[in-house]
Amino acid sequence: MTRNESRIRDLFDWPLFICVVLISVLGVINLYSATSVYTGARAELYISQIYWLFLGGIVGGVLIAVDYRHLERAAYFLYTFGVFTLALVFVLARDVRGSARWIEFGAFRFQPSEFTKLFLVIALAKYLHDDPRNEGRSLKELLIPAALTLVPGLLILKQPDLGTASIHFIVFLIIAALTKVRWKSVAVFVGTVAAVAPVVWTYILLPYQRQRVTTFLNPEADLLKGGWHAHHSRVAIGNGGLVGLGYLKGTQNQFNFLPDQYTDFPFPVFAEEWGLAGCIVLISLYLFLCVWGIRVASQARDRFGCVLAVGCSSILFCHAIINMGMTSGVLPVVGVTLPLFSYGGSSVLTMLTCAALIINVSMRRFSSVADRL
Amino acid sequence: MKNLDPNRAKWIKIRMGILCGLMATGLGTVVSGAYNIQVEDGDQWLDLAERQRQRRLHVQPKRGTIYDRNGAPLAESVEVPSVSADAVEMLRGVEEKYVAAALLRNSERIAEALHLSMEEVHEKLSRRRRFVWLKRRVSDQEVTAIRALGDKAQRYPIRGITIEGEGHRFYPNRELAGPVLGFVSPDGEGREGLELSLEHELKGHASELRGLRDRSGRLIFSDGVDDEQALAGHNVYLTIDKAIQFTAERELDAALKTYEAVGGSVIVVDPSNGEILAMASGPGYNPNDYGAADPGNRRNRAIVDRFEPGSTMKVFTMAGALANRAISPTQPIYCEEGNMAIDNIVIHDTHISKWLSPTQILTVSSNIGAAKIALSMGEEKLYETFRRFGFGDATGVPFPGETIGVLRPAKRPWVQVETAAAAFGQGISVSALQLVMAMSAVANNGRLLEPVLVKRTTDATGQPLVESSPRVRRDAVGAHTAKLVSEMLVSVTEGEGTGVEAAIPGFRVAGKTATAQKIDPATGKYTDTHYVASFVGFVPAEKPRIVIAVVLDEPMGGTYAGGSVAGPVFRRVGEMALRYLGVMPKGTEPVKLSELSQIARTGADQATNAYQVMAEQKALTQAVVTPSAPLKGGEVRLPDFQGFPIREAIKSAKALGLLPQLEGTGRVTRQEPPAGAVLPKGATVKLIFEPPA
Repeated sequence: MTRNESRIRDLFDWPLFICVVLISVLGVINLYSATSVYTGARAELYISQIYWLFLGGIVGGVLIAVDYRHLERAAYFLYTFGVFTLALVFVLARDVRGSARWIEFGAFRFQPSEFTKLFLVIALAKYLHDDPRNEGRSLKELLIPAALTLVPGLLILKQPDLGTASIHFIVFLIIAALTKVRWKSVAVFVGTVAAVAPVVWTYILLPYQRQRVTTFLNPEADLLKGGWHAHHSRVAIGNGGLVGLGYLKGTQNQFNFLPDQYTDFPFPVFAEEWGLAGCIVLISLYLFLCVWGIRVASQARDRFGCVLAVGCSSILFCHAIINMGMTSGVLPVVGVTLPLFSYGGSSVLTMLTCAALIINVSMRRFSSVADRL
Repeated sequence: MKNLDPNRAKWIKIRMGILCGLMATGLGTVVSGAYNIQVEDGDQWLDLAERQRQRRLHVQPKRGTIYDRNGAPLAESVEVPSVSADAVEMLRGVEEKYVAAALLRNSERIAEALHLSMEEVHEKLSRRRRFVWLKRRVSDQEVTAIRALGDKAQRYPIRGITIEGEGHRFYPNRELAGPVLGFVSPDGEGREGLELSLEHELKGHASELRGLRDRSGRLIFSDGVDDEQALAGHNVYLTIDKAIQFTAERELDAALKTYEAVGGSVIVVDPSNGEILAMASGPGYNPNDYGAADPGNRRNRAIVDRFEPGSTMKVFTMAGALANRAISPTQPIYCEEGNMAIDNIVIHDTHISKWLSPTQILTVSSNIGAAKIALSMGEEKLYETFRRFGFGDATGVPFPGETIGVLRPAKRPWVQVETAAAAFGQGISVSALQLVMAMSAVANNGRLLEPVLVKRTTDATGQPLVESSPRVRRDAVGAHTAKLVSEMLVSVTEGEGTGVEAAIPGFRVAGKTATAQKIDPATGKYTDTHYVASFVGFVPAEKPRIVIAVVLDEPMGGTYAGGSVAGPVFRRVGEMALRYLGVMPKGTEPVKLSELSQIARTGADQATNAYQVMAEQKALTQAVVTPSAPLKGGEVRLPDFQGFPIREAIKSAKALGLLPQLEGTGRVTRQEPPAGAVLPKGATVKLIFEPPA
């Protein structure tokens, strides 16, 4: 056992760890700039962010120390707990700008939807692990995983939080794509989506959500309403140019033209100050993180680890691409955080947990089958 | 996954490869999106950002003050509150169907607070712009009323209304030096006079500064510019002396009224350094209300208008002839008994004489004598002399629209008769400023100086930037010649001279009168009814302290001779200025120093008392707000922020419900208003920080 343990330590996934540390450091530096406009409590957000990163690091350390396969047993429990807290949101949460996402817990507030995507991934991994198949799956056989996704997904959509809900769905689709699905089933699925989409558009999406999508298609049309965020963030990014204006010198940020620059829009701050060069570096780091996660999945020892790694990478990927996509005008504006760049305890904890789980899977790729359970 | 059959494992690998590819493509799209914004269409977005920042820079930096030479303000900018509205902010969060009602309701309340018509306000707000002036220059009462509308404590506060100080140009002395100062447009641009020509100094540096407004409209200073004063315009100290200016204007106005002249100007110059002590142009106007003034009266006649000078030119003809040794100072000249024909033109003298000395030619102002002197000197030398005295050239005064006059109207050398006419100032034109500067050269040992109107420039904090110094243009004639001409000119104001009415008792006055016929624009010939009467001279003749030019355009009612119309103006202004400058009349016993000190001693007690009273008063004003003064509801007493670090200062100011306005970094060293002041909640407190030493 001792030998095995030391071997596991040798297998520590340094590249991934360093990548996460780099992004976190850049994130804190950027957060300092993003909040430098403010005076008072908000100017010190970067310090709280550092606290959260340390807390996340400790949580991640514990998660790395414990073999990920122990999570298998807790999978459905965690999932149920997640769905329960989501339901609780409707009872307890207060409205923040027309949507209730937070639960207040004494001095702490947390956003259950941040964690449920992780619990969903664990639950899906558990389900697919317990139901190994070699032949392609039909739609019917995907019904249970789909239901697992839809329950938290729809609850979040109801909050309403289009961004986080769509992350649940995309994570599910990515995981489903990795299991073999019959072509016929795929065709049926696409057909159904095409039929259901208009219904969702008219009856389920709220007016402001619809507006966000339409303004995405033409953001300059109505600057003072929905397109305002997108427009200002693009102005800031454009202001950066090739090499940026320099740290703490982003004028759109410093002059407070950027909306929510420390939560949903840290990317324009970064892009304005570091320019295209900085953007390429940052995006490369995120890409490395995701692709490395997939690589870990392909080397994982079992199906549970594989799905876990893919799911965690997908979460990171979705957050990164949706956030950066919305700020640079490639995607509509939805409230999705940029991993380790946006301020927020729930977000930091979730992202670091994802990274920790990938490292966990990576470290135990060679542990013998005998160790298993 | 290790425990799989190889075929399946391969499939999984391929899928994962595809997934990686998709992720890379996705993030690549973001990169390309960023590339589009930052590089490909970069300029367009850059431009957009720049405009966004510049757009809300409504308020100009404070315009510099114009002072007279002793520091009395002549033109100053005062901050007057103006009210603007951000209609978008006002209607934020209002549902579209309620917008019309909200607009109506808000318009009504705003109109009431600002004493405007509701339709006007409604129309402005309906455009739903981010910035619109509601009313500029509002009263204190209106400020209070509009603040109350935005008060968050009440039930329906109106958002998006801003009260900000707007620079308003104020001329505390009203008409005084109006045409010299000019005025400023409501947007803060100098439009005429010195306000225009000194625009660059006065205006401040809005274009250079990187100080911009953020989304909420606060001024932001980057690049180390954190002091509003650094952006403010420079202060300008003129050479004008308010007291002499006042006298000059008063006497000019009196003369204009008495003789029903259409206009006139008076210039007082210190010949030793070319400083203009007074420059009056009448009728003047009040730049505070320039809109109501006749545009003709807004021009500074002393610099902008040219006129045929007439006999005053004889001074320079004489100086030129003496300098060129065309005549000797005592050489008698035959004056043809009042009529002399040159070519087919006959020149007349009003004072018929046979033989006159050069001095007498000036004393009785003989045209024929002057003409003969000029002809003996020759066209070229006469023209050169005039040029040497600065005629036909810009004087170098920093003033818009200066005329340089015309020496050779036909743009060719004068023919004989033209030379003769030019010798007594006909057929050429000059400005009053040129005339006074040329006479200053005579008074200043023949040395022609540049007129100085700006004595010094300081920045907003009072640090001197530019100090003027006398600038010599050239030696027009030698010192000996100048002295000689000066002595000749004294006889003009004595005995039989034409300018006896300019004589100042107790002083020897050197000067020359002129009564120049004007050309009737209708016929192109000289009229017998319209004249320009003038007198140019200096005093005391032996050691000139001031040179004064008086020009009156078209004096009417029988009296039009320069000596009797302009002479008295010269005398009164000269008397006052000499007394004011402390120049003792000849023959007055100088007061002994001991007596002076005696006077000073008796006065000293009063002065000391006054100082003490002032000191006490100062202490009183500081202690006016005693801690026991009762506070009304919604009022707070300002604590002493001295020594507070930034965060703490903000915290405690906010705790009191005050808006801190910060400048600099470090610890609080100053605050406005001072500690102990009672302010309404929501008022702004200016805190000035300096890094600890």
